[in-house]
Amino acid sequence: MCDFQPKLVAWLDHELPEDQAAEVERHVQACEECRAERENYEQVSRIIDAYCDAVMGAKTHRSTLRWVPAMSAALLAIAASVLFLAPQRHRIEPQSVVTPAATAAPVRILAAESVLSTEPVAHKKIHSRPAALPVQEPVPEPTTKWQPAETAVQITIPAETMFAPGAIPEGMNFVAELSIGPDGSVERLRLRP
Amino acid sequence: MSDDSVPLALPFLRFAARSSEVTVLYRELRKPLLRYLVCLGLSSDEAQDVVQDSFVSLQHHLAGGGTQDNIRGWLFRVAHNQARNRQTSYHRRFGEPLDSEMDFIAAGATPEKAVLEKERFRRLRSAIGLLAESERECLLLRAEGLRYREIGDVLGLATSTVADTIDRAIKKLAEKCNV
Repeated sequence: MCDFQPKLVAWLDHELPEDQAAEVERHVQACEECRAERENYEQVSRIIDAYCDAVMGAKTHRSTLRWVPAMSAALLAIAASVLFLAPQRHRIEPQSVVTPAATAAPVRILAAESVLSTEPVAHKKIHSRPAALPVQEPVPEPTTKWQPAETAVQITIPAETMFAPGAIPEGMNFVAELSIGPDGSVERLRLRP
Repeated sequence: MSDDSVPLALPFLRFAARSSEVTVLYRELRKPLLRYLVCLGLSSDEAQDVVQDSFVSLQHHLAGGGTQDNIRGWLFRVAHNQARNRQTSYHRRFGEPLDSEMDFIAAGATPEKAVLEKERFRRLRSAIGLLAESERECLLLRAEGLRYREIGDVLGLATSTVADTIDRAIKKLAEKCNV
């Protein structure tokens, strides 16, 4: 066995002092046995690294598989809660704006003004009425139907918060797309990566 | 701004700076720590718990004015000790059958390559299983890029002992794996 072989691994790991490293390097260039050993040690280091990667990948993969049903259920629960918490939208009903009370309003206001001069407290009551009360002519029926301002709600959840590290490529997210119809109901639900 | 607002703000600013440092360290060292811990024998979930706890300890360490020298070695030492405290998992390590892992390892390879890969990993696994505990630990820490001095800090060994241990372990594996 060559005398330099005990230093080969430390030399490969850059752990030798500079003068010793230079000496080993010169020797390895000239010694066929040491060159072969160096290749062996480098190969072992590569295999260890690959094996550690494989163990890590396999364990996180197994862990992820165990979480898939739970995470799917969680995603569906989030989607369902968004559906219920989404603000309800109502159609505008023009007929409800024109009421008999509206036509009678001027009479009430006049009465209120007469009261106002003697009882200031009544002033607040009268002015709390909607300003639309004096309208006498019927409001024309709107020509266009109400449309929702937003057609979809997106929930973005970083995959790395849901799955074990290494199981999902970095930066990958799942997006839950909800399309909400004019009546507030969900027309479409789609989960995509 | 009043005069006393600066000293009042300083601890917060120092804490924010430390938090930012810990975040950077977390991004850099989370995966190597996880890999080291699962290769020691911890499950993926256990390893993630240990990594989280280690970084919480680091936050407290830095917030308490602890030394910032060799933070990587410090983190690995804390994680290593926590793994050791989980005795059952720690001693499971490479002795555990890894047949399902073997299937996963060769999933994307051609049939011939898959057979070769599986055989190579089987030989390596059994060879690592025959190593002494300190040899295994030194090799795994070396695989995560730690210097001999850092490995010595983690395992409580002299740097020269680490060098001898790694040299011996690599030569045993090279012999057993017939590379």
